[in-house]
This record gives sequence, structure tokens and C-alpha cells, in this order.
Amino acid sequence: MTLSTISVNDMHCASCVSKIERTLRELEGVLETHINPARRQVLVEHADGTDTATLLARIEQAGFHPCLTSNPRQSLRQRDLLKRLGIAGLAMMQVMMAALALYAGAFEDMDPSVRRLFEITSLTFCIPVVAYSAMPFFSNAIAAWRTGLNMDVPIALAIACAFAVSLAHTLNGAGEVYYDSVVMFTFLLLTARYIDDRLKQRFDMSNAALAALPATGLVLEDNRRIPTPLVDIATGSRLWVEQGNQIPLDGRVESAEATLDESVLTGESQWVSRACGESVYAGTLNRGPGFCLRTSATYDSTRIAGIADLANRAQADKPQVAQLADRIAAVFVPAVLCLAALTFVAWQLANPEKAFVAALTVLVVSCPCALSLATPAAITAAMTRLRQTGIVLTRSDALLQIARVNAALFDKTGTLTEHAPDLVDVELLADVGVDRDGLLDIAAALQRHANHPLARAFPEPKRAVVNDARIVPGAGVEGRWQNREVKIGSGAFCGLPTSDAEAGIILALDGTPAARFEIADPLRPDAQPAIEALRRTGVRSTMVSGDAADRCAALATQLHIDYVARQAPETKLEITRTLQNEGARVMVVGDGINDVPALAAADVSVAVLESSDLVKSRTDVLLLSRRLGALVDLVVVGRRAARVIRQNLAWALSYNLVAIPFAALGFMPPWVAALGMASSSTLVMLNATRLLRVPAWRPPADSVQDVAPGS
Amino acid sequence: MEILLLLIPISIVLIGIAGVTFVWAVNNDQFEELDRHGFDILEDDPGEK
Repeated sequence: MTLSTISVNDMHCASCVSKIERTLRELEGVLETHINPARRQVLVEHADGTDTATLLARIEQAGFHPCLTSNPRQSLRQRDLLKRLGIAGLAMMQVMMAALALYAGAFEDMDPSVRRLFEITSLTFCIPVVAYSAMPFFSNAIAAWRTGLNMDVPIALAIACAFAVSLAHTLNGAGEVYYDSVVMFTFLLLTARYIDDRLKQRFDMSNAALAALPATGLVLEDNRRIPTPLVDIATGSRLWVEQGNQIPLDGRVESAEATLDESVLTGESQWVSRACGESVYAGTLNRGPGFCLRTSATYDSTRIAGIADLANRAQADKPQVAQLADRIAAVFVPAVLCLAALTFVAWQLANPEKAFVAALTVLVVSCPCALSLATPAAITAAMTRLRQTGIVLTRSDALLQIARVNAALFDKTGTLTEHAPDLVDVELLADVGVDRDGLLDIAAALQRHANHPLARAFPEPKRAVVNDARIVPGAGVEGRWQNREVKIGSGAFCGLPTSDAEAGIILALDGTPAARFEIADPLRPDAQPAIEALRRTGVRSTMVSGDAADRCAALATQLHIDYVARQAPETKLEITRTLQNEGARVMVVGDGINDVPALAAADVSVAVLESSDLVKSRTDVLLLSRRLGALVDLVVVGRRAARVIRQNLAWALSYNLVAIPFAALGFMPPWVAALGMASSSTLVMLNATRLLRVPAWRPPADSVQDVAPGS
Repeated sequence: MEILLLLIPISIVLIGIAGVTFVWAVNNDQFEELDRHGFDILEDDPGEK
């Protein structure tokens, strides 16, 4: 199976989306399509036999202009739209001025020649608006003959009819003119479209920032720095990173220290310093002096590339609510056209003079633009906002789930605590014929096979080699060393009598507990205030850990959090299910393979940056920030987004339901209809952009010790 | 009211000039990246360090 990404720049609305979807699904070999109108992208899962050229040809037959790569002309589009908008704005000011004079003249008996002068002035300014600014509406409407009805059909029809009738009246020197309505309608619609475009572009840019890596890296060879394309740099190469440059590939620092700006990943602008041996990620900026690093990934396996993939996938999934709005819109457009025609016929019978105006008003006022913009705009805005504090949604409908979360389950190690455990003490338990350093070496060799976060506390093994290593989930690792059975993990796993006082990691040789490793694992700096803030927003937190009860209790009192200790992965799942049966919406935050069952069952699953790839690919939300406070942001923005969506849909629906009868009965002049319809689209867009400005949650100043900036 | 016959054509010409200027500005990148330049003064000059 292959996945192809196709850009379709002239895909604007719900009808286009369903048209393309239908066309592709008819094609043999196409398994699944994800269409993302916000990015004008189509993701197609298809059998290997179907080549992309066929897909492109098919979309082109349907009347669109597809291209394979992502669209470099985004900014050209934006420019084009801005020019059309600016011209319409300038013209609108003039036409409105003339219109004001005409309105006043209607009451004060304006001289017919002066009246004509003002009408001609309005016409002069209206021509560039219709011929230039409104052109996109016309070309989309014309394209509709081939692609099926879209939102621009009623818009173009309204503009064209109103302009044509006004022109005829001006030339005849008798009758009403609607230049003001035409210009205002065009201007406001373009405004809504411009905001929509900016929003999508901002989101694209935050994603593009993820994927934008330098093309080359400086490989160190014999003390020379050789610029090499990233594609050719193998894992384990030594790279030099100049001051002020982006780190090209993931790796470990080999110089004494590096000062980095990781804001592209975490959203935190404060610089951080990474000591020798610590991991650094591609895409982050070197703010300190140049340093040397040893790469641990190739260009397509960097963490940032993986995140960008996940983020793109999310954008392509359309949430159910957006689909609902699309369906409404797809029904609405033909309905609007019928309604306008019906109004025209009815008035023709009753009072032919008012037939045109009434039909025009209905056409303008009932256009379902606001309805179809309502949900996608809010979701794009919320996702852009979340990116700013280092949160990536990998499924966009997760946003609606997040709004309803009222319980959170935290894994302890690596989630509530830092991903930087420290080996503080080694205690020998029994004489097994190996000295302290030897035991430590065996433990280190075993731990290389473990994916538990605490395994990172152990140094690189020096001599010991372990064979047949096997992970026992929730317990530890076992293997063979010099033909002796070795085990490392919890006390119970290593044959120590179960007693919670016996905390620590135990190494056993041939079933005899030989050494205990004491590992300190500090809490994340803002864990306590973040949990407290979550509690205040109505999310009850519980810590679930496979660790000993006394350690969990100590942490739990510090955090004021419920806890369940000594849990196997299956019981994490059970706890999640129990909470859900009690009616809670559960968010599970975890990092390890052992969390996967619980994460899969959760209403919202959250993985931290250090999680294994398997975990990351299965969760709804990825925290790039090291701060747990990002979770507070997540919940707050999720709730705001749900509220904005409800407001938008309610507004759009009730506006249409109220305005249509008024327009059909002829109680509404066309300019009111134009103002109402276009400003309701703009209003919906502006309401969505409010989500961009939701402030980031910061812990109260006294609860966290600030790290000094690394400059 | 005859003055309108003079003033209206003048305003049409002026708006025409404004429109052309606006299009020129857009084409010459004046409206690209409206957010970033405000922060430029806060950045250190890379040449000085």
C-alpha cells in the first residue's frame, strides 16, 4: 500500500471535496482518501499497482488542477487575494460615499442630473471590483459547470445579476442601482476569505517550521569541516554545528556543553543547555558557541520529521463535525438557488416590480458560507495555537474529545518525572562471584535492551555482553551473560521477597538477587502546579505506576494526587475502563510501551516527547514541551475551541433561518442582505481567530524555580 | 453643485493612484511577514558577536 499526497489548489468548498472524494473512490485500487480542504490537500491510500499519474489524471478530469508536491505558490495566492481585497476596499469607500449622497438625495429631492452623476461615479468604482476583485468567485462558479455546485455559484450569480441590473438602470436613467451592495458584498467576502487563508498559512508555517531543516551539515573529518548533503550523512557521523545554525540531525553532544533554542519543538523561548552526552534534536537552534555532535538518526528518521508526518496526518483527517457542516452546505447550495428562483416566480405573480430585488436578496442572504467555515476555521486556529506551546495533535477530532475530559491518568516514571534519571547508589546484596563494577556493567548491558525510562540512568556497558535479552512487560529484562541467567527489574521479578520497602532496581544472577541500584528520578519542575491547575479546571488526576507503593505515596503527597501503585499494564487498562464506566472522559498521559493498552482505550491519549515511536504513532496528542503545564493549555484550548464551534454553528444557522423569511417577503433591502451575509462569514472567522490568542498557562511564580536563561 | 464635476474626476484619479500604489506595494513584498520585523530590533546583529 502506498500513500500519496496531492495538492489541489482550486479546491475551495465542501462540494469540491465530495466531488474529488467520489471521483477517487470510483478508481480501482484506491483504499482510502483523506481530504483536507484547509491545506487544499488530498491524501490517498492506494494499492501499489495504482500509480499517482492515474490519480492526478482522474482529479484533472473532474475539473481541478492537481499537483504532486506541496504548494510553493501559497504566498502568491495570498498576495493575489490581498490585491483584490485592497482594490475592493478603496472602491468601497468611494461607492459608499456616493451611495450616502444618493440616499440623502432620495429624501431631499436631488436634482436628477446630480443623481446621475453620482450613479456614474459609483459605476466607475464598481467596474474594477466586479472585473477584478470578484473574479475568483466568477471563475469558481464557471468551474462549477464541470465540478458540480459550489458555494461560489450563488455568490457569483448575485454579484453578476445585481451589477447587470444596476448597469441597465444607469444607462436607461431610471430605476434603482445596487452598486453599493455589490461592492460591499465582494469586499466582506474577500475579507473572510483572506482571514481564512492567513489562518491556514499560519498553520502551514508552523508545520513547515517542523519540516524545514538545512540541506547540508558540516561533517568533521581529520579536523576539517566538509559540507555534506544530509541525505548522505550516516548515523554515527561527527558533525560540527556553527553558532546560530540549526542542528541538522538528531544526535548526542560531544563537546562539553551546548546552548540551544528548542522553541521550534517545545514552544519555549528560554534557551536550554545540554551537557556532553545529552540528546539534541534536529531543527533546534545553536545559540551558544559551535559544538560537535555525533548523529543518531538519518535525515528521514529525525524526531522532527516524525512529528511533521503525524501533524500532517492530523490535518488531513476531517472531524465529524466538519463533515456534518459540509453535508449541510452541500444540501444548502441547491436549496438556496431553488429558493431564490421560487421567490422570483412568487413575486412575479404578486408584484413583478419587486420580483428581482426579492430574489436577489434571498440569493445573497442565504448563502451558507458561514456555516461551512464555522468548524474548520476553529479547528485550524486551535491547532495553530496549541503548536505555539509545543502541543501537536495527531488526530484533529481529538480536539472535540479534549473539551470533555474530566479525568486524567498519569504514568509516573518518565511522565510526571523528568526523563533524566540518575543512578545514585549501588548496594551489593549477595556474593555471586562478580565485583561491584562487574555487576554494574552487566546491569548496563541488560538495560540497553530495556525501553523503560529508568534504564537511561545506567552508563554505556564497557565489556559485558548479554545474549537472548527479552523484555518482560511491567517487570524487567532477562537474558544470558556468560551462560548464566541474568535478570534486572523489580524485586518480585528478581526473586526478592515482595516487600514494598525493598524499592530500587534489582539485578539477579541465576535467580539470586545480587545488587540493588538506587535511582533518583526528579519530578518535572511544574508537575505540582500543573496538576493543581488541572484539578481547578475540573480534571481529576490519578497517578498509576508499576513502582513500589512507598515511592508512589511520597510523590502523590507532594503532588496532591490519587495514586495506584504496583500496576501491571493490564490493570492500567482496567482502571481506565472503570473510570469510563463511571462516566468519566479519561485522558491518559504516558510514555512507554506498557502504557499502550491504556492509551488505546483512553478518550484522549497523550504521549510525551521522549516516548518510543510506537507510542507516539498511536496517541492523539504529542507533548513536545518538557512542561506538564502544556496539558493545562490543551484542556483550556480544547474547551474554548468546542465553545467557539458551538457559537459559530449556532450563529450561522440561526442567522440563515431568521434572515431568509424576511428577504423572501421583501422586507430587506439588498445592501442589508449583503452586509448581513458577508459579515456573518467574517464574524465566524474572527471568532475562530480568538483561539489564537488564548494565553499560555504559566505556573504561579513561587511554585517553580526558574532556570536561568542559557545566554 | 458644478464643483462636483471637477472634484469627482479628481477623486477618481487620486483613488486610481492609491490603487496602483497599493498593488505596487504588495508586489514589492511590503506586506510579507508583517509580524517579524517588529522583533528585529531585539535580535543581536549576527555580525557583532
